[in-house]
Amino acid sequence: MEYVSPFDERRRAPVPLARRPAGMAGARVALLDITKRQGAQFLDRIESHLRDAGAETFRLSKEIFSKPAAPEIIRRIANRGDLAVEGLAD
Amino acid sequence: MVEAPDFTLASVASAPVSLGELIARGPALLVFVSEECPTSALTLRRLAPVAPALLKAGVEVAAVFADPLEVAARTARRAGFPAAVLSEPPPYEVSSAYGLQTVPTAVLVDRGGAQLGRVVGWDAEGLQALLAEAVGGDRAPSLGREPPLRKPGCTAKCALDPELMARLDASAPFDELEEMFERGWTDGLPVIPPTPERVRAMLGGRDGDLSLGTVPPGLGEATVARVAACAVLAGCRPEYFPVVLAAARAALAPAFNLNGQAVTTQPAGQLVVVNGPARELLDLNCGIGALGPGSRANLTIGRALRLLVSLTGEGYPGRLDRSTLGHPGKLGFCIAEDEETSPWEPFHVERGFAAERSVVTLMACDAPLSISDHRSTTPEELTRVLGWAAAATWSPNWWPLGAPSLFVICPEHAAMFRRAGWGKDRVREEMFAAVRRPARELRWGETTPQVMAARDEDMIPKWSSPDDILLLVAGGEAGRYSAVLGPCTGMGEQIVSEEVRWNT
Repeated sequence: MEYVSPFDERRRAPVPLARRPAGMAGARVALLDITKRQGAQFLDRIESHLRDAGAETFRLSKEIFSKPAAPEIIRRIANRGDLAVEGLAD
Repeated sequence: MVEAPDFTLASVASAPVSLGELIARGPALLVFVSEECPTSALTLRRLAPVAPALLKAGVEVAAVFADPLEVAARTARRAGFPAAVLSEPPPYEVSSAYGLQTVPTAVLVDRGGAQLGRVVGWDAEGLQALLAEAVGGDRAPSLGREPPLRKPGCTAKCALDPELMARLDASAPFDELEEMFERGWTDGLPVIPPTPERVRAMLGGRDGDLSLGTVPPGLGEATVARVAACAVLAGCRPEYFPVVLAAARAALAPAFNLNGQAVTTQPAGQLVVVNGPARELLDLNCGIGALGPGSRANLTIGRALRLLVSLTGEGYPGRLDRSTLGHPGKLGFCIAEDEETSPWEPFHVERGFAAERSVVTLMACDAPLSISDHRSTTPEELTRVLGWAAAATWSPNWWPLGAPSLFVICPEHAAMFRRAGWGKDRVREEMFAAVRRPARELRWGETTPQVMAARDEDMIPKWSSPDDILLLVAGGEAGRYSAVLGPCTGMGEQIVSEEVRWNT
């Protein structure tokens, strides 16, 4: 039987995982605060561990946690960072 | 040299694909398969991990299914097959031209269009040799040694006697409704299969290829045909389709932030409110049981929108939809306002539309909380009962809500406001003033930054403003049960209204 699919069957090209770094020393790590409650606490702790491991960190915030990050935020992460950590929270 | 017969076949990922395109830049590995054949499934699963390396090495890989496109897409998806997926319709002339007797059969075609070799059935060593030939010796990715190393295939459809096939098809037990579950084209309830005829009737002459945009969270494209397929699946009659389209347009408006709503752990679903002549035209129920079962139009219009979100948008519970509990309204949530019984201007007029227009308004809403009040004798009393019932919505100490509450006022309660001459603004202001508590009583469990920053005796209102109190009238004429629908919070979303376009 033939049917009209409700799905968009076009395959989206799988995005390969980025290359994993050998270590944190000297790595530039973006910490993205999605602005959900207590997310900053989580990132504070991660940031402390990353700095202990020799990473350089920088923080960014999303406008609101429930919407995708603005292209400008993503651009800034890509331009300046080697890695990014996004903190989900509640 | 055996020449590879040319073909052009429908593709899952793109416009139809020809052999010429597949071999334009290098050799191509054609893998003829069929959905019913377990050996085909095995072959696709085993080829899946090596396909990216083959593509990288300049070898095109294509699975050629003797099945309809959507069956091919589903089967390839299940096998995790990451390369081209093509579909060959009966009478399988391409398979015949390649002299197929068995599926799977892998055929290697070089850039000049010559067949370099073929492997019939699942034969790991044979296929490995074919891959080596394709990429040139040692660079071929390994298929591994996981058993089975050999497995016979199944008879290719083109090799079956057409009369025998017809007899088998006629006698095969085929349950269309079960097929829909098998495909995952459901919300958990039986659906109406979206045959081309039904979808055509739903479209009513509209261009099915037009796009309304992408549906969050999975970003499938909402072509009008896919919206129509969802409407068919939901059980809509074709005359409901303009309302479904209006609801879809409203849901896809960026201001509605469907993306956040579709993936949140909150329970909220998308409530569709219908106002104007559409209610009578489509027999939408705004009377007895307005929030419950019984009306095909209400139930299927709401369901069509939810199917669009969960199927086209891939916001299916447990997958991208992460709602902890969900609520029954996420199956479908559509109400109409009883404008004729209401003492107030209709909901859509309040939102700036002319009364004679049919309008769909979308809100993110929690499940209805019923409010019984058979004893209030004044509008002041009634307003307090209704308002304090809403005090616990979202979370008992989360004041102010920072999001709207929708009150569905039953006709008997509405009549009390009518007799007293209270307009909507009066009800809102009285309710806003009545429902507030000292901050110190709200400082436990989940509470707001406003409560934490306030002094102990500061009176905190349940809403940020009277404007967050929304009112519409619906329900049976007997019984004093109104309801409040809590919000979806933190989405930064707006309520969105769309006029129903009957002819476009």
